[in-house]
Order: sequence, then structure tokens, then C-alpha cells
Amino acid sequence: MEQQQDPVIVRHRELERIANMALRAGRIMMESGASVSVVHGGVGMIARGFGVEDVGLRSGYASLEVTVTAGGNTITRMMQVGRLGVNHRLDQAIRRLAVRVSQGGMSVDEVEAEIGRLVQETPRHSAWVVAVAVGIACASFGRLLGVDWPAFVAILVAGTVGQYVRHQLLHNGVNVFIVAGLIAFLSATLGGVGSILLKSGTVNLAMMASILLLVPGVPSTNAQTDIMDGYPTMGSARAVWVLMIMVFASVGVWFAEALLGLRSL
Amino acid sequence: MFELLPHLLHQALFGALAAAGFGVLFNFGFRALPWCAAAGALALAVRTVGQDLAWSLEGASFAAAIVTSCSVSMLRKQLGPACNAVALAGCIPMVPGAFFGQALLGFLSVTAPNLVDAEATLILAVQSLLRVIFTLGAIGAGLLIPAHLLRNQDF
Repeated sequence: MEQQQDPVIVRHRELERIANMALRAGRIMMESGASVSVVHGGVGMIARGFGVEDVGLRSGYASLEVTVTAGGNTITRMMQVGRLGVNHRLDQAIRRLAVRVSQGGMSVDEVEAEIGRLVQETPRHSAWVVAVAVGIACASFGRLLGVDWPAFVAILVAGTVGQYVRHQLLHNGVNVFIVAGLIAFLSATLGGVGSILLKSGTVNLAMMASILLLVPGVPSTNAQTDIMDGYPTMGSARAVWVLMIMVFASVGVWFAEALLGLRSL
Repeated sequence: MFELLPHLLHQALFGALAAAGFGVLFNFGFRALPWCAAAGALALAVRTVGQDLAWSLEGASFAAAIVTSCSVSMLRKQLGPACNAVALAGCIPMVPGAFFGQALLGFLSVTAPNLVDAEATLILAVQSLLRVIFTLGAIGAGLLIPAHLLRNQDF
């Protein structure tokens, strides 16, 4: 009991709460598609908003570490980061919260509650809306690549179905690389079969355009951003992740082309 | 010039649709989606003009990314810190995913038994891969340089 009254321990526990809360905000930003410099900026703003004098951060692909110093006390805490995706509205909401916290006047409890509320209440488009939008995007990519109109329809269907199934698989915790391979096979097969049935003259292009939902555009630009911002380790990790996704996606297309007799195994 | 207009409009329209579609996937709000579409249309229009002027894909993509990033930066008051994300969404239709796939499929083909004309297959695959690397680099640099020089706020 007496130990809990020790001012050093009390201060350490306060610092620990600040560090964990700042790490949680950083983790959400990272999982929502923010670059490392943005994550570090946000975590630093939140920690300094509570009077922390010095903040040190290290980002790995699957974890975040922070060291906070205040009043002669220092602690280091680490938090695991989950699958990196893109959620623009949640990312922006956490950034706005970081600005509010940095201006002072909020308690740790209030910030923790606000982070929880944002995670729960930030709206997301429904799975079907996203699926149709992605189908339209893939078909549009197809037009940019030069597919004909029959193939456009086939890609639209293939991209929509592919995105919906991808959402369900990821929601059920299936490995992201296996999902990439499976969805590439499914979408390319649907795009190819549809194009053949609709008598398209651009079957191969249609199969490729059907899997463009898998191309990790944001991680690939984030990889470059991270390297340019001085975080080559994280940037390299992202680049390797992008390459692996594309390898699995290509193998999926390969099998789809073999199934349709367009390529030998 | 006027005979190029239908092609330019076609590329801009489908660039807009692709950017907006990916904007939905990235969970942009409905108010931000038209900006994503506009950024996509602008990026594809600039890239198409560049390619019509016989620029390389990489050069045209770089110019398109720079123009898109600068244009979106001018809307900082309306878009706030989201302007960098809108510019990125607009440039997503220029990401050379199809070339990436072609490169990897080409490398897979090189290892196939009874391959005819392995050199041509390998060169095509390497060309596609280099095109992916340089185009991604061009897009990334084109987005980042104006954002850094114009000091776009992340928060």
C-alpha cells in the first residue's frame, strides 16, 4: 500500500497511461494507412499534450515503441500493430484528436474514451457498396488499359465479386497473402470466362484488369514516403510486402490462365 | 489536337471513376469522393497529354503526379490535412499494376519447360518490372516533392 504512494511510482504509472494511450492512437493511424512520419507526429503531439518533455519513437512493421520522459522519469512501452490497411476517415479523425490533445485541456480518460468512440463510430461504407465501387474501379482500369466494352462488363462483375469475397475472407482472419492468391484466381477466372462468353477480343487484358483491386497502391507509395522521410527499414518492409502480394496475385492469375487454356502450367 | 479530345475525355472519365472507386475502398467520405474523382481525372488527363506528346510513361506519370499534387495543395483550405490523401487517391489509377503482373508472369514463364524464345520473354519481363519501379518512383516523387515544398500540413 505504501509502495503505491511513492511519487516516483505514481508518476511512472501516469506516464505509462500516457504512453499506452499515445501508442494506441499511433497504432490506429498506422493500421489506417498513415506513413511513419505522420504516426510519429501524432504520437508525439498526444504525449506532449500531457506534459511529456521528450518523446522517442521506433516503428517496426508489426509494432510501435515509445519512450516518454517527464519530470526526470522515463518509461518505454511497446504495442503490437495489426494488419495494415487503409481507412481514411478514421485516420483523419485520429489526427484531429491529436491536434485537440496537443492544445491541452483533455484528461487521459477523456482521450481514451474518445479514441474508443472514434473506432466504434467512424462510419464505413457497407461491404456491398465497396464491392460495387471496386468493380467499377477495376473496369475503369480495364478501359485505361484498352479493353473493349464486353470485357468492361466482365471485369465489373469479376471485380465486384472478388472484392466482396476478399472482404469476407479477411474478416474471417484468413492470411492476407493467401487471400491475394485466391482472389486473383477467382477474379481472373471470372473476368476471363465472362470475356470469352461476351465474345471480347481482349481476354488476357480483362483477366489482368480483374485483379487490379489487389494492387497495393497506398502501401507502395507509403514505402517510398517512409524511405524519403528517413525510415528505410519500414519502407523496405512495406516494399517487400507489396512484392509478396503481387507474387501471390500473379500465381493466382497464372492458374486462372492455365484453367482457361490460355497458358500451360 | 481536337481529334485527341475524345481520347483525352475517355481517359479522364475512367481515371475519375477508378480514383473514386478506390476512394470508397479507402473509406473516403461521400463529400471527399468528388475531389478524389477530380484528382483522378486531372492526373489521367495530364498523363494522356504527356504520352500524346511522346513522353515516356514514367515522365508523363511524374508530370501528372506533380500537377495533381500542386492542384490539390491549392485546395488546402477546403480539404485541410486530407489534401495529400486526395492527391494520392487521384494518382492510384496511374499505379502500373498490370505491368507488375505482366512482369511477374513473365518471370514465371522463363522457368517453364520447353520455353521458346526465352531471351525475348525475359527481356519483356525485365522491361515491365523496370517500368513498374520507375513509374512508381515517378508517382511517389511527383506527389511528395510539392507536398514537402509547399509544406502541406499532415495535421
